[in-house]
Amino acid sequence: MQKDLEDKFLKEFEKNQNIAHKICRIYTSNQAAHNDLFQEITIQLWKNYPKFRGDAKFSTWMYRVALNTAISLYRKSTRRVKTQDISDVAYKISSSPYDDTEELQLKSLYKAIHKLNDIDKALIFLYLEDKPYKEISETLGISSVNARVKMNRAKEKLKQMLNP
Amino acid sequence: MDKLEKYKKAWDNQPEDVNKISKKEIYKLSHSKSSSIVKWILFIGILEFIVFNSLYMFVDMKEAYIEYERLGLKGFVFWTSILAYGILFYFLYLFYVNYKAISISDSTKVLMTKILKTRKTVRNYVLFNLTYLGLTMFAFTVASIQVDFNDLTNKQLVLTIIFMLVATSITLGLFYLFYQLLYGILLKKLNKNYKELSKIDD
Repeated sequence: MQKDLEDKFLKEFEKNQNIAHKICRIYTSNQAAHNDLFQEITIQLWKNYPKFRGDAKFSTWMYRVALNTAISLYRKSTRRVKTQDISDVAYKISSSPYDDTEELQLKSLYKAIHKLNDIDKALIFLYLEDKPYKEISETLGISSVNARVKMNRAKEKLKQMLNP
Repeated sequence: MDKLEKYKKAWDNQPEDVNKISKKEIYKLSHSKSSSIVKWILFIGILEFIVFNSLYMFVDMKEAYIEYERLGLKGFVFWTSILAYGILFYFLYLFYVNYKAISISDSTKVLMTKILKTRKTVRNYVLFNLTYLGLTMFAFTVASIQVDFNDLTNKQLVLTIIFMLVATSITLGLFYLFYQLLYGILLKKLNKNYKELSKIDD
């Protein structure tokens, strides 16, 4: 039974792991912290997986658990990496042939997101991931109307940072 | 949102394979030790319950009882101790219930509220203990003065009162600072994010 559960978890996690990586990229600024947060997200997902009833999609649940870990549970890594900073790390994005312009845009986008506060980061992330307002408001625990208002403000902030 | 659209396209097209890890690595990570603040709050909370209840071990109880009797405080100590233990178990129960209620699958706001509630339970327990300590010190001062009233000069009387007041204030102040620092550091990020999130619905 435990083995079945574990297999199912590993399969789902492997398929959806990019969600966790993207969250780590926006909430941390060096590789050591990225790995730390990724580890904590993995622990939390596995620990709570038996309670996951499957009435929502695994990915939807994963967004929530991973964001909650980044915003509420995770304490910044005490380990320091000497050389890497946001611009190096934002991110070793491309290993495959990839559009240069888009790569630059992606780097600027990560750099700008890094300057937002934790809650705005979550809002922008969920917007970029095409999440409907209903899901955004349920994930964060705020009203749909206020999520919309706050989202517009966060987008404005982001736009200004991208095009000063 | 035109300006953002092109960035969003870049976001959608970002490659997936850069940090990809295998099932084996996921398994290893998921079984490693958590260092979440909820775990810290649990550890520190339990430690506080233990520390405050093992203080008696450092007092020679036999001698203390003789002193209670001399000061006429035996009844006071007996009843307040029973009350204090009753309250201790009540707090332990609350702490357990609050801790168990924390679920990472809740919405961010509910999760934060529950974490802060657990920490507040311990804070209230500590506050209760400090008040209890303060009251006991006050009762002893009053009782000592009453018993030894005829042997004390006015100067000694004033000095005893001042000494007890200063000692009580310093003890309580130090505990207060210690807790502010401990939980201040631990919950700095969470408190900041909680305020930010609460502002949205205000």
